[in-house]
Amino acid sequence: MAGTADHSKFEQLKKPFKSGPEVTKACLACHTEASTQVMHTSHWTWEYTNPANGQRLGKKTVLNNFCIATTPNLAFCTSCHAGYGWDSANFDFSKQDNVDCLVCHDTTGKYRKAPGKAGHPAYQDMEFPKGSGKMIKAVDLNVVAQKVGKSSRDNCGACHFSGGGGDGVKHGDMDSSLAAPEPHVDVHMDAAGLDFTCATCHKTSGHKVAGSRYAPMAMDKEKHIRGRADANPATCQSCHNSRPHKNARLNTHANKIACQTCHIPTVARGGVATKMSWDWSTAGKLSPEGKPITKKDAHGHVIYDSRKGDFVVGENIVPEYIWFNGQVKYTLLGDKVVKGEKPTQINRFEGSHTDGKSMIWPVKIFRGKQPYDPINQTLLVPHTAGDRGTGFWDNFDWSKALTAGMQATGAPYSGKYEFISTEMSWPITHMVAPKKDALTCAQCHQPQTGVGRLDKVEGIYMPGRRANPWLDLLGWLAAAATLMGVLIHGAIRIYVARKNPAAGHH
Amino acid sequence: MKMRSILMVGSLVSVTLFPALAQADADWKRGRVYYRMVCTQCHTEKAGGAISPSVKSKAEWTAYFQADKHAKGKDAVKFYFSSKFRDSIKATNKAAAKFSDVPEADLAEDVKEFLQKGAKDGDAPARCS
Repeated sequence: MAGTADHSKFEQLKKPFKSGPEVTKACLACHTEASTQVMHTSHWTWEYTNPANGQRLGKKTVLNNFCIATTPNLAFCTSCHAGYGWDSANFDFSKQDNVDCLVCHDTTGKYRKAPGKAGHPAYQDMEFPKGSGKMIKAVDLNVVAQKVGKSSRDNCGACHFSGGGGDGVKHGDMDSSLAAPEPHVDVHMDAAGLDFTCATCHKTSGHKVAGSRYAPMAMDKEKHIRGRADANPATCQSCHNSRPHKNARLNTHANKIACQTCHIPTVARGGVATKMSWDWSTAGKLSPEGKPITKKDAHGHVIYDSRKGDFVVGENIVPEYIWFNGQVKYTLLGDKVVKGEKPTQINRFEGSHTDGKSMIWPVKIFRGKQPYDPINQTLLVPHTAGDRGTGFWDNFDWSKALTAGMQATGAPYSGKYEFISTEMSWPITHMVAPKKDALTCAQCHQPQTGVGRLDKVEGIYMPGRRANPWLDLLGWLAAAATLMGVLIHGAIRIYVARKNPAAGHH
Repeated sequence: MKMRSILMVGSLVSVTLFPALAQADADWKRGRVYYRMVCTQCHTEKAGGAISPSVKSKAEWTAYFQADKHAKGKDAVKFYFSSKFRDSIKATNKAAAKFSDVPEADLAEDVKEFLQKGAKDGDAPARCS
């Protein structure tokens, strides 16, 4: 959509800028409320308090089983913060110039926050990784500032497609294929069709982006009018309503089954692999020369990295299915965890078939092994990236990395570590397929593979699920016997009636 | 005037001798859409299966485009970016229709850029899943 302002005509922007904050200052001269608005969003605070259970969430606080946590690694992690300079606890969250306008409004594709620069782009050409010979070009802020516009899929995707440390790694339903998908990958974002941007669904008002995974909506029964401020515009129902099918039987399914369950048959469909597991316990193996190593599969995907351990990657992944009522309980730093046969749930999606608030949702469950304190029985946070001499990615020393990491968080650490199996669930809601590719009835009710999509979902009777061929045979025999009995009985009655007409009219 | 001529000749020489400079503004996203919706679709339906970007290295893709031989030399790769080809399929192919006005050379560069990104040694090895 064309804007109404040509920013290259603004005198404030026709000057050389030495830094991002200088550009922000120029933006704020006209867009006076923009920084204040951004400062009230989780893109800035990296905080969210769950009103249902009081848990303090957001990237500032939560743990995961990818790169684990941000606190000791801020200068690297904050290359996805909508600001400049957050490299320590001393960051000034109230300074308006620290807001990064360009990361969301650049239209040139040339603006990139540089690794390890705490949200700043490269102001001079820089080599990254050090010693690799690969150069990151300095950004021309003057050019970028004069070409700002509405946020595109590229702006959102710069961070959200690469969550977990690379393209498609984290979510499974979000990767760079969504920057320009064909209808098979996403029927709404189809670059030669509807061409939705992220903001078409994640409708934004005053810089508040609707549809955060920290506040998910599992069931939406609202009577929607698109644009209503008090409703969630990011649900399927906000456009399609809750009875979208012509077939009444399908609409009854929609009472208990999330749209995504049938309409996102698999994830990582765009040719980009997603990580399915990450085993930190094998990290640190070096070559005979003492150098870090990587191993790749036949398709070029990294499956071992000395800095990170072993990975399993996959494409066209069939999600797992659970009851979900919109509530997610996280295991946070300091929470007691038990190392046992079952993996620790880093986040637990709550819900059941009885609570009246749950629907059957598809999720990607990411499995891994990560550091754990066997004395305090808590998960641990390592210092991974950085030049302070303790980063695991530099020195491959878990003891140093965990001591430094836990010091940064301020949480207790006994000095002993082991690795614990963990699981983390991610809701699947992107990569909606064309309706011709939606699940068929048979994929749940009469799967040819013998394994139905919803076989593991408890608490429901589903025709065809877990069918026992002997029981089926017994049932059919009983039905046949009944039919035979009726026919024989009827035949006898007819025979008797014909033989003795008077008996037939008593 | 003389200076302008020198600059123009210099630009032409640069673009001819250093194709990487010409590719600097190539749009991998447009290349992705064209590759997946035109090349892949046709290969899937008529040529025995899709060819994933990650089956070749970046150098192999570069060599493939330089050789300009499609179907083992039966025709030129270049043809499949031509307006003539796009016009012939645009009634049934949304991508060919959408990009019908894109100059041939630009579209070829876009696809090359996508294949460099998605090659097995590229930044994001890509398959035709």
